[in-house]
Amino acid sequence: MKGTQYYIVAEHTFCVKATDSILALMQNYEPFRTAPIEDLLFGLTVTNGSPVDYIEEWRQDEEGQDTICGHTEQGEPVFEFRFGGKTAGWLVCVPGYRSGVLYLCGFQTMAAVDNALMIMFAMASACLGTVLFHAAVVSLDGRGYMFLGKSGTGKSTHARLWLENIPGTELMNDDNPAVRIKADGTAVVYGTPWSGKTPCYRNVSAPLGGIVLLNQAPYNKIVPLKGVGAYAAVVPSISGKRWDERIADGLHETENALTSNIPVWHLDCLPDANAALICKETITQ
Amino acid sequence: MKIKKGFVLRTVCGENVIVGEGLDAINFGRMLSLNETAAFLWKKAMEYGDFTADSLADALCEEYDVDKAQALNDVKETLDNWTKLGVIE
Repeated sequence: MKGTQYYIVAEHTFCVKATDSILALMQNYEPFRTAPIEDLLFGLTVTNGSPVDYIEEWRQDEEGQDTICGHTEQGEPVFEFRFGGKTAGWLVCVPGYRSGVLYLCGFQTMAAVDNALMIMFAMASACLGTVLFHAAVVSLDGRGYMFLGKSGTGKSTHARLWLENIPGTELMNDDNPAVRIKADGTAVVYGTPWSGKTPCYRNVSAPLGGIVLLNQAPYNKIVPLKGVGAYAAVVPSISGKRWDERIADGLHETENALTSNIPVWHLDCLPDANAALICKETITQ
Repeated sequence: MKIKKGFVLRTVCGENVIVGEGLDAINFGRMLSLNETAAFLWKKAMEYGDFTADSLADALCEEYDVDKAQALNDVKETLDNWTKLGVIE
């Protein structure tokens, strides 16, 4: 049996058409379920499929996970997801990313569904003041604080140190929060169904209070970043396909608004309680 | 000469910055801040497509109160820098 479910993430709605057995696997999306709605950001159809012919543009290799980007002869964007060299599925989108089809191979099904939905969400919302970050984010006293850094820098560790040492802190998302610039210019951070290895799928939001770029060091020290420095700190943590000019323009607009309005910091840190305390003292003033 | 594919001039918090966004520039991995004159030259270079130090120096003389020899000197310095950084070819 096939069905359609509707979801709302960062106030954007999308739907997934799939077999009941696949829909039943999407437990991380449950907090984001919503009633059927007509005005959708995008729709994804999930089905079984065979290899898709496409022309490769670029590939990203991250911890044994390959994402290969390309396009069909007709110019439809294609993304192939491989895990340990083995293909889990192909996502074929319409230009503009309003709809897409994920062809599954019956291997790493949920990872392929998650990747496909993250890509479609990021691409379809890029020109709507929305970005998907690679970051951990905590909330404290009604504000969200986001921690950025290269893989392995200790984003999750730093977030955990806040939870352990600063009463009132909650984890909003551990890997892929969304940030949206509202009509009045304020930035809001949202939990999403995507949270890396930590099962933290919370439908919560908070005004963004600060962004901290983490860097491992033998000491703790925090300094503010301004202008181009702040922009350069933020951009590498945002998912996108910047060789698509329309998407690059949309992302730039959001990134520029973010770094013009939200305090950005650089934290050299140890993985210790003091790092969290120094950070909190400085950025929540 | 021409600007390599994939490099884009962006305004970041009021400053002019060159970033690598296209497929051929995606591994540039840094941002290049331009002062007002350099940003002017970049825009002219984009407009011309194929440019020379001489054509940019002429443009500079039209826009600013500077003599040709001085303009050519400034343009060459900027282009040397861009060549070293690999944003033009």
